[in-house]
Amino acid sequence: MTDLSHSAATRTERPSLTEIADVFARYGNFTLGGGSATSAVIHGQIVTRRHWVNDQQFTLCFALGRLTPGTNVLAFCTGIGWVLRGLPGALVALLAASIPCTVIVIAVTALFREWQGNAIAQAAIHGAVAAAVAITAKTSWTIAGPVYRSGARLRVVLIGAAAFGLYVVLGVPAIYVLLGAALVGGFLPVPPP
Amino acid sequence: MSCWGPRWSADSCRSPHHEYIALLYLLLLKGTCTAFAGLASLPVIHDTLVTQHGVLTEQQLNQAVVITRSSPGPVGLYIVSVGYFVAGIPGAIAGWLAMVTPAVMIIPLVHFSGRHINHLRVRSVLQVVVIASAGLLLAASIPLAREALTDPVTIAIAFVSLIILLTTGLDTLWIILASAAISLSASSVGLIARLG
Repeated sequence: MTDLSHSAATRTERPSLTEIADVFARYGNFTLGGGSATSAVIHGQIVTRRHWVNDQQFTLCFALGRLTPGTNVLAFCTGIGWVLRGLPGALVALLAASIPCTVIVIAVTALFREWQGNAIAQAAIHGAVAAAVAITAKTSWTIAGPVYRSGARLRVVLIGAAAFGLYVVLGVPAIYVLLGAALVGGFLPVPPP
Repeated sequence: MSCWGPRWSADSCRSPHHEYIALLYLLLLKGTCTAFAGLASLPVIHDTLVTQHGVLTEQQLNQAVVITRSSPGPVGLYIVSVGYFVAGIPGAIAGWLAMVTPAVMIIPLVHFSGRHINHLRVRSVLQVVVIASAGLLLAASIPLAREALTDPVTIAIAFVSLIILLTTGLDTLWIILASAAISLSASSVGLIARLG
């Protein structure tokens, strides 16, 4: 076990569960700009201002959050919570970072449904949805961009194109493409660092 | 409230049964557990709920992305919106559960960090999955575009938005708001009807 577990947090200030809930509810939910912006704001609170964790602990949780399936920033918050107070801290951080924004999204989704019959709202939504197509397409570059670097570009293009082709041309379900990718990744040459 | 596929919607749109919500949770979880970023689960969700089960429309999936990108919080919240569109509040709760469940996996990762996570073969597997996710996400945007880009104005909005997203660091919220305003203005002067 690494020394980055919750016991290491005794070197810094160990917060109560209420304080963890307070910080993650306030700064994990109400930051626009996605997970990276949220992580930056949380860094300011728990590293710089409150000294709950040090930079090494923060960086570890951030990196492992990126490697955890699902929503990276929630995994990151859970990891920080675990470092701070073990399992109760992890659960409190996860709940505090996810419930308020979930309530907001449910309310907005309900409004979208209500507006289905409103011509003015529909015209606005029509344009917003067109932008969503661009956001979806651009997100694929956001995901692949960090690994598209010198020495690995051909690898990125070939794997990305193969996944695209399997899904679009051959109609292979996405889940099988991803499982196949995991299998292939185990045999491909290791990418340069 | 939309109904859960043919087995559910035959006679009426009644309150969702627990087993259907549990099934919805598992289907959404299949998406979140096989993705390493918020929207990367979209192809699996599209396959499962739009193509296979027909309980979600392309338009609703697009709207879920819009809602998430114009609200605070992580992008992965679109799963909550998807759950709501499929089965109302119980579906949204299933979506929330599917979103938070994989996050718990970080605990053993932090606990045992340094042992295997830097193993080259493990990193290779993760990297290939991430790249394949990117290819799939690009592919998933095709049916979404087919549904959403129905006239020259929306095509122009999508094209310009993509250029701005790729070349600037402008927050997506402003792009969505500007797109909504442009579409509303174009609609109000009858531009879409004339160009369409």
